Amino acid sequence: MNRLVTVAEMTLRELLRRRGVLLLLLLMPLTFYLIRRDAYLGQSVRSLLLGVGWAVSTAALFATTAARELEPRLRLAGYRPHHLYLGRMLGLWTVGLVISVPFFLLPMIDGADLRYGGLAAAMLCSVAVAAPFGMLIGALLPRELEGTLLLLTVVTVQMLIDPAGSGARLTPFWSSREIATWTVDNTDHGYLSRGLLHGLVVTALLAVGVAAVASVRLRRRRHLRHLPVG
Amino acid sequence: MDSDRRGQWLRGVLDICVLALLSEGESYGYQLAQALDTAGVGPIQGGTLYPVLLRLQKTGLVTAQWREGNAGPARKYYRLTDDGYAALRAGGSAWLTFVRPVNDIVTKGVSR
Amino acid sequence: MNADDWLRTLTAELHQRRVAADAARHVVAEAATHLREGGGDPWVVFGPPQQYAGAVVESIGTAPGPRPGPVRLHAAGITKRYGRRSVLRDATLTVRAGQIAAVIGANGCGKSTFLRICAGLMSPDAGEVTVSGRLGYCPQSGGTADFLLADEHFVLIGAGQGVARGPARRAGRAAARQLGWEAGGDVQARHLSGGTRQKLNLTMSTLSAPDVLLLDEPYQGFDQGTYVNFWDQLSRLRDTGTAIVVVTHLLNQLDRVDIVLDLTPARETGWHAPGIQGGRP
Repeated sequence: MNRLVTVAEMTLRELLRRRGVLLLLLLMPLTFYLIRRDAYLGQSVRSLLLGVGWAVSTAALFATTAARELEPRLRLAGYRPHHLYLGRMLGLWTVGLVISVPFFLLPMIDGADLRYGGLAAAMLCSVAVAAPFGMLIGALLPRELEGTLLLLTVVTVQMLIDPAGSGARLTPFWSSREIATWTVDNTDHGYLSRGLLHGLVVTALLAVGVAAVASVRLRRRRHLRHLPVG
Repeated sequence: MDSDRRGQWLRGVLDICVLALLSEGESYGYQLAQALDTAGVGPIQGGTLYPVLLRLQKTGLVTAQWREGNAGPARKYYRLTDDGYAALRAGGSAWLTFVRPVNDIVTKGVSR
Repeated sequence: MNADDWLRTLTAELHQRRVAADAARHVVAEAATHLREGGGDPWVVFGPPQQYAGAVVESIGTAPGPRPGPVRLHAAGITKRYGRRSVLRDATLTVRAGQIAAVIGANGCGKSTFLRICAGLMSPDAGEVTVSGRLGYCPQSGGTADFLLADEHFVLIGAGQGVARGPARRAGRAAARQLGWEAGGDVQARHLSGGTRQKLNLTMSTLSAPDVLLLDEPYQGFDQGTYVNFWDQLSRLRDTGTAIVVVTHLLNQLDRVDIVLDLTPARETGWHAPGIQGGRP
């Protein structure tokens, strides 16, 4: 338990010291919201949610890439793979939750009329998906640049795709879009439940993906036999 | 004097000389070297003297103590132990017993 | 060579001959005092430092070297190919507790690869490695977290063994001090100078008190003083029973080392020095 918490804490400390990333985390969702603010409320809320998702994903990507060289040493120091990826996920989720708070308050301050329960649920989904998503990309792609480009592509697709279309459910942040519709447009509960389910499933799938890659990369090699001290 | 031969003689007797000097009272390396030189044994280099002192210390014939000088560096002072006194008596007597006939032979040979 | 240089060389010679540290200190101090009182050229008064050191050793003997203990690392038949290029061929190394092994060879002959295979970070195409006890590994570069402080590195490594924060920090700072570095403070790793960052790298690998320590040329960027401290620390670790493997291309410390593994393919050099374990040609 302590190992998990220590990894989470160090992830947090690292992120807080990276001022570029912090700026991203705070400015990007704000900018997305402001750009769409004059348009119809649903657009601005959806942009805000996408901004949060993208920012947290990028932070997750950077955190994973930066830790890559350190992880084998941590294995030797006594950590198991699950301490490392779960700990990092916890740290990233914590960061995501913390930055969600001001952005949750933003429409409130703006006097927007919407279901704030739904807004909270949508933000939770964004954050929940974003952390393992960014981690998975960071684990699979060797450099931050490629990872950032991939994230950019995904976010653009997410923005442009028709949410009712057949392929839309394959995009990772579809859940927050669906819930946003329930939040703003006063539709029926179906949107909320579909969104929550999608968010849960995608988070789980991405987390399993991260676990799989980490377990392979940090595995106990077969050629090495460990004996107790004799 | 042939330095090789002198070296050989010193190797046999330097430790007894040091023990004898220390029986007068405690002393340190440089002082011992000076004393030997003054007594006529000739200049004793540090490289010759200190290994002897170390060996005497290791075999328990002397003990050593570092002491701060009044004006100058700390010095390692040596003094004889009881074993050292005993070794001096035994070794010194043996030397004197040995050297007397040698002196007789050589004196006769040189004066001829 | 002036008196200070002579004394420094004497210190090194005594250390190399495994004279006990306290005795060596006394010998050097006494020689220094003698020279100060009487003056003179140390080469005349004492002779060459090697000779004097030899005489001292004859007089007082050496600290008994710890008997090499049980085998801690055994790598046999390690083979690794990258595509068609064979990087390692049947490399073999056995290191016991209390021994230091040096892995040498030209650039690109697989020293780092061999070490990573022994550390379990890479799989070989053939061969086996058996490690008895805890493993520590220091990569050639990197291996630190850019945005964390030195103390935070220590806490992170310590937590892997269940060590609490305070003790982990203290242990890390103590280990850092042995390399001549004060590790406290709030400087992020990325702001440390290259040599200091390497000291952090090295300290991290010794923190968990490993039984087998694998070091991949860890002294990049060390100044001369730190380099000497580094080898002193290795000797100290060796005396406490750690088995150490150092990848190095600097051959001037090979006399402080018990085993040498030369990974240069024998067909190039055609020569295996005696006492050297190597790979088959």
